[in-house]
Amino acid sequence: MRDSVVRETVLGSEMDALLLRSLQSYVIDTFGPDRWQAVCRRAELAVSTFEPMLHYDLGTADRIAQVAAEVLGRPVDAIWEDVGIHLVTHPDREGIRRLLRFGGVSFADFLHSLEELPGRARLALPDLDVPEVTLDELGEDRFELRCQSPLRATQRVLIGLLLAMADDYGALCVISAEAGDCTSIAVLDRGHAKGRRFDLAVPEG
Amino acid sequence: MRADRPDQRIEMDSGALAHFMPMHLLLDSEGRALSYGPTLARVLQDAARSGALFEELYEVRSPGGAVTIDEVLARGGHRFRLMPRNGLRAGLRGLGLRLPGSGAVLVNLSFGIDLTTAVRELALTDADFAATDLAMELLYMAEANAAVTRELRGLNLRLEGARIAAEEEALTDPLTGLRNRRAADLVLDRLCSARAGFGLLHMDLDYFKAVNDELGHAAGDFVLETVGRILRDQLRAEDCAARVGGDEFVIIVANRTDPRTLQAIAERIIARISQPMEFEGRICRVSASIGIVRSTDLALPEPPQLLAAADRALYAAKHAGRGRAVLLAPTGE
Repeated sequence: MRDSVVRETVLGSEMDALLLRSLQSYVIDTFGPDRWQAVCRRAELAVSTFEPMLHYDLGTADRIAQVAAEVLGRPVDAIWEDVGIHLVTHPDREGIRRLLRFGGVSFADFLHSLEELPGRARLALPDLDVPEVTLDELGEDRFELRCQSPLRATQRVLIGLLLAMADDYGALCVISAEAGDCTSIAVLDRGHAKGRRFDLAVPEG
Repeated sequence: MRADRPDQRIEMDSGALAHFMPMHLLLDSEGRALSYGPTLARVLQDAARSGALFEELYEVRSPGGAVTIDEVLARGGHRFRLMPRNGLRAGLRGLGLRLPGSGAVLVNLSFGIDLTTAVRELALTDADFAATDLAMELLYMAEANAAVTRELRGLNLRLEGARIAAEEEALTDPLTGLRNRRAADLVLDRLCSARAGFGLLHMDLDYFKAVNDELGHAAGDFVLETVGRILRDQLRAEDCAARVGGDEFVIIVANRTDPRTLQAIAERIIARISQPMEFEGRICRVSASIGIVRSTDLALPEPPQLLAAADRALYAAKHAGRGRAVLLAPTGE
């Protein structure tokens, strides 16, 4: 497996780059830089910093996450869910929460806006290959989300994002991974908590 | 189905109008306000009174010269730009239409490029915009672009750091920690083009081959590292000491052209290097020969001529017996 040393490539995957950077931030912020160094050593990486704006070989993120699971002693799915939560809740990454909140004024609006996610991502990063997302409304407050991605991480990160955003909107819901790429969402209480404030414009200064 | 059937009339009450056009203004035939859309009312605040004249509410920026709504419609009703007179820093863009019958004028407005300012200053929300308005997308895009730019700036800084580290490595001799030939060439180029006065010392170790042959390469490396340490000790930060070959060194002494000073520096270095060095219980004995040239020795100092002159001085030093420093005769060139 020596050939699988991580390379930055021109034609590689941007999604892997974003996932790797998110994983790196989550591990460093939550477990400290030493544990991240341990992950990098065990994965035989030449570097210990992933650049979100560069490209990496397709599948690198899933491979490094597997190593992180071994080092941290946690299932890889749980790690990716936590990465999704971390992306939205960490104060340093307020920007991502804000971009997601532009999806709508209620959690249901937000869920529907997920179908626009690839288009929204392309507005910012024209060559980003975000997997298509479809949302089916099964009944009042019951949804099924499908996201076909070659990366294992995608579904779990999405679940983490949904959990954190439900909290942000003050909605109480049950989110679970179903067979295939399907995620089911049941909103139990739309106004469970107050939710966080969202101003359309960032205050000046 | 035809969209432009002239007989097709729609009637709309003010509630529906407010819903479809939250930034509309309805004026009577005299140009006095009949009603405001709810978002426009927030824009105009206290000025949004019934009966207010169009020209009291807005300054017309284009078409130029127009003041009243009649003049605006006559000169370019399909597209105009206004500035609210209440001090809001956001301009408005709009179009207007005289309605048949009553002669009332319907004006619909939007924030153009000043959207972000308006949203911030008026604390507008999603509910203040019609569902068809692209305001949300524009705000979203502005923030997304700012985020991407921030990431790129971070990437640039990190790459710049890596570049500086790589450059530092590319100028350093890894064994001795001294500069390498490339670095010495850069310093020489810089000093020559600045017409600076300096001394150039070309140094070669004596008996180094014997240490390598008799005590092994590890001992040879130890000697080179020790020489590196000695040179760093003996020189100032503004000077440059470089290992340019196996046991060959170039030393640039900045701002020193006095022959006695340069001779003294060279002899001090030779004295230190000639001290026995102990490596794993064995004694290594080396010495050094140094050829000295001053930038002032040449009428027009250029790096290749200076290096050649220093090399000749070094040859003379070797020839005169080991462990000596020889200054190029002033008449040498």
